[in-house]
Amino acid sequence: MAAPILALKDVTLTLKGNAGAVEILHGVSLDVQRGETLGLVGPSGSGKSSLLMLMGGLERATSGTVMAMGQDLTAMNEDQLARFRRQHMGVVFQSFHLIPTMTALENVATPLELAGAPDAFERAEEELRAVGLATRMDHYPGQMSGGEQQRVALARAAAPRPDTLLADEPTGNLDGANGAAIMDLLFGLRDRHGATLVLVTHAPELAARCDRIVGLLDGRVDRARKAAE
Amino acid sequence: MSVAVAARIARRELRGGLSGFRVFLACLALGVAAIAAVGSVRESIQDGLRRNGAVLLGGDAQMSFTYRSADAAERAWMAGIATRVSETVDFRSMAVVERDGVAERALTEVKAVDGLYPLYGAVELEPALPLDAALTGDGAVMARVLADRLGLSVGDGFRLGEKAFTLRAILIRAPDDAAGGFGLGPPTILRRAALEGAGLLAPGTLFDTDYRLALPAGADLAALEAEATRRFRDSGMRWRDSRNAAPGMTMFVERVGAFLVLVGLAGLAVGGVGVSAAVRAYLDGKTAVIATLKTLGAEGRTIFMAYLMQIGVLAALGIGLGLVLGGAVPLLLAPLIEAQLPVPADIRFHPGPLAEAALYGALTALLFTLWPLARTAEVRAAALFRDASGPVRAMPGPRVLAALVALAALLVGAAAVLSGVPDLALWAAAGILGALLLLVAAARAVRWLARRGARAKALRGHSALRLALGAVGGPGGEATSVVLSLGLGLSVLAAVGQINANMQAAIAEELPGVAPSYFIVDIQPDQLPGYLARVERDPGVHKVQTAPMLRGVITRINGRPAREVAGDHWVLNGDRGVTSSDSAPEGTVITQGAWWPEGYDGPPVMSFADEEAREMGLKLGDAVTVNILGRDITATITSFRVVDFSTAGIGFVLSMNPGALQGAPHTAISTIYADAAAEAPLLRDLAAAYPNITAIRVRDAIDRVSEVLRGLAAAVTYGAMATLVTGLFVLIGAAAAGERARVFEAAVLKTVGAVRGQVLAYFALRSAILGAAAGLVAVFAGGLAGWAVMTFVMEADYTFEPVSALLIVSGGVLATLLAGLGFALRPLAARPARVLRARE
Repeated sequence: MAAPILALKDVTLTLKGNAGAVEILHGVSLDVQRGETLGLVGPSGSGKSSLLMLMGGLERATSGTVMAMGQDLTAMNEDQLARFRRQHMGVVFQSFHLIPTMTALENVATPLELAGAPDAFERAEEELRAVGLATRMDHYPGQMSGGEQQRVALARAAAPRPDTLLADEPTGNLDGANGAAIMDLLFGLRDRHGATLVLVTHAPELAARCDRIVGLLDGRVDRARKAAE
Repeated sequence: MSVAVAARIARRELRGGLSGFRVFLACLALGVAAIAAVGSVRESIQDGLRRNGAVLLGGDAQMSFTYRSADAAERAWMAGIATRVSETVDFRSMAVVERDGVAERALTEVKAVDGLYPLYGAVELEPALPLDAALTGDGAVMARVLADRLGLSVGDGFRLGEKAFTLRAILIRAPDDAAGGFGLGPPTILRRAALEGAGLLAPGTLFDTDYRLALPAGADLAALEAEATRRFRDSGMRWRDSRNAAPGMTMFVERVGAFLVLVGLAGLAVGGVGVSAAVRAYLDGKTAVIATLKTLGAEGRTIFMAYLMQIGVLAALGIGLGLVLGGAVPLLLAPLIEAQLPVPADIRFHPGPLAEAALYGALTALLFTLWPLARTAEVRAAALFRDASGPVRAMPGPRVLAALVALAALLVGAAAVLSGVPDLALWAAAGILGALLLLVAAARAVRWLARRGARAKALRGHSALRLALGAVGGPGGEATSVVLSLGLGLSVLAAVGQINANMQAAIAEELPGVAPSYFIVDIQPDQLPGYLARVERDPGVHKVQTAPMLRGVITRINGRPAREVAGDHWVLNGDRGVTSSDSAPEGTVITQGAWWPEGYDGPPVMSFADEEAREMGLKLGDAVTVNILGRDITATITSFRVVDFSTAGIGFVLSMNPGALQGAPHTAISTIYADAAAEAPLLRDLAAAYPNITAIRVRDAIDRVSEVLRGLAAAVTYGAMATLVTGLFVLIGAAAAGERARVFEAAVLKTVGAVRGQVLAYFALRSAILGAAAGLVAVFAGGLAGWAVMTFVMEADYTFEPVSALLIVSGGVLATLLAGLGFALRPLAARPARVLRARE
């Protein structure tokens, strides 16, 4: 069997807040295979979004190892992580997180530019056309609906052709019709580029579209759910 | 509407603390403090001038005459009203020191005093001798700068005219220093009696005699002035008294003070930008609260009142802080300020200037917060159920607009009335408004250009620059606020830089090219042939001009008092030079009428300077009465001619036919245009042959004027710095307010693969672009102001001065970089996951 694209071993995450330290994840171990679609499910506060952030190097594990593409993310500094994401990862958030001072085209072109792609804008245009926003390229996020903003965010995540797409409840802020359209686009992009997809979701019907589902409960992999599957 | 309900809401809202209002408080406090401090110092100086009037003047009152001493009638009148009368004679001369056969010469303003001088106060000397002891026999004291220039130490000898004197002490301070005004040479004090035999006060020599009067307690100065004027004005007497002992100094302090207050108002206007931004940000964050209040039944006016009260309390706090700061700083720095001033200042608490500063602060706060406050009425309850964070953007309604116009008018009106220089205040207000409008337009242009630049194909691939341009041109950018807040302060600095550089160039660089090398005064008529023979045969001299000169006071025009006809024109202030010529001197340009025929021997006729005649409303045929040496001469104007004062050559407003001045003792004035190498030997020969003459080196006079101008430019620069500091506060406020947005941008950029260096480059470029834009706009505005002042006020050529302009642009970039990068650390350090999840 080929080496997993993502491998988490005994990962813990403790965050320090005003009210003291809070343990978010307790010794999570998880492998994700190349090309797989994985649904992360669980109740609010179970740690699924945190787990996704650790996979993207956006959060640092307190202990344990996070291997991605055979590289140890826990050993990298901030800039090394940024370069790694630039080459291998695309992230989509529930709240889109577009930069408000940039047009749709500029938002999508930015990661390509950062990666030094000479055809960043041409590829960004192509990506926006693929998500149905050919006519909205020069619009600012504030001039677009939530569904349109999320489509821009999808295009931005997919534009650098990442090996892995990480999506954190991408339909959480959208109505049913828009949410379904976004999921179609997300899975379409994943199919088109052959990327690995890790999807955090509350919606069972979305999770059901994934190859595999992993449940989380109180910061641990939900063995009962795993066993049930 | 219930005011009580609004007040309760306001009180509860204020419990949230002042964290969002630091910039609001700083802007208001700093603007108010600057105006209060300048006003307090100005009031202190004026108070000092008023309280010490008699000391500054050297007497309770002073009567002055040019060319002569008081006659018997005048002396008798003075003796009748005064308990003591002190007589001093003032004139210019050359102090000469001979060492090893080489003579050193320096121009000095000689004050020859009697035994009663000074009537009030004391002369401060080094070593600390009594003045009487220092001036015994051939003793004299002189200013340190003069002694240094001549290489003199206490005990050394020097010469004035044909007589030798001994330097007994260095003059540190004379009580009447400030009353004299602008002098070309440093002072020397000696006894009037010691001048006997010096050959310096021959008939026709230019000198002033001042009589300082000690009056009985309770003397009515106004009545005495009226009486003296009635009796002696037509004989050329000039009156001054302790009510306004140093009019030149008083006017200077008034003007500079008023100007600095106006610069302070510019600072307050910059602060207003920060105040407005702080209130807008605060109210944007309160949209949900306002919508909730409306859901609960609050009327728009109640909400408006509640927030107006909150802003009112904060404004009062800011103004109070400013008053404490502005009132205390002059007190704390009193010893330092007093030591720097040439006049006695009484630095203490003055309520008047503080009240003035508070009024400006309150009006500015209202002016800049009313519009954002009026927006609270536009927030709808439905905002709660839609996007509550969306800012409300609407033009103010007609009532708010009218209130804004009224407030602006009130502010400008208050400045016009309280500054005491309404014209200057109105021009300054127009200038500030014009600059603000220009800066708003420029900010829009910058945003438009940045948007175009961000989309330019050439910039693709230069991610940091493209991101920066996108951020400057994009929605919600801080371009307008930064360009406004920094631009106004930099514009004032740029204008000062351009005007100062052009003035310095005109006076210190261009003038010496056309001006004579020397002005020689007090040449006795019998010395003129010998003088001309020496000068004209010198191969280094390329031009020499001479003209007879007397001094006279214009007393009447067509039989009426001159001031009634021509108002307070400068030609009527004190005595003027009068010359005579049988024929029109070479190069004379007659604009109207004709010169009198050669050898004319009829009733007195006169040629008057064309520009001044027009300003005074004179026409050909008018009869002008001039009092020369106590004698009235009435001459008819037969021509007007061009007199160019800008080349520092000989220029007389009045020229009469020689017959009219026959019998009046006079001397000649001369200008010498010579090569630099010829100057020293020429002066040596002339001074040796004619020790009574005084040579004024034009280059020295130009340097002295340049020095005064530099001082003025420095004072205005300090004022402009207050504006700039306020601008920096606004910048820091904008940077602090934008920190959250920067944290978010940095998180997103890191998520899509940006390393910290790229994020930092983006932030730095963004700041630098805004700073450079503000600097460039300021240089343009400053250049425009410089051009206008040089062209229309100074009537001189304007040349763009690049060095100060470059400094302004660099300063703008540096300021925005510091403010921007100071707030870049948190965004750079923040973990993307936490930032982004916090916004989920």
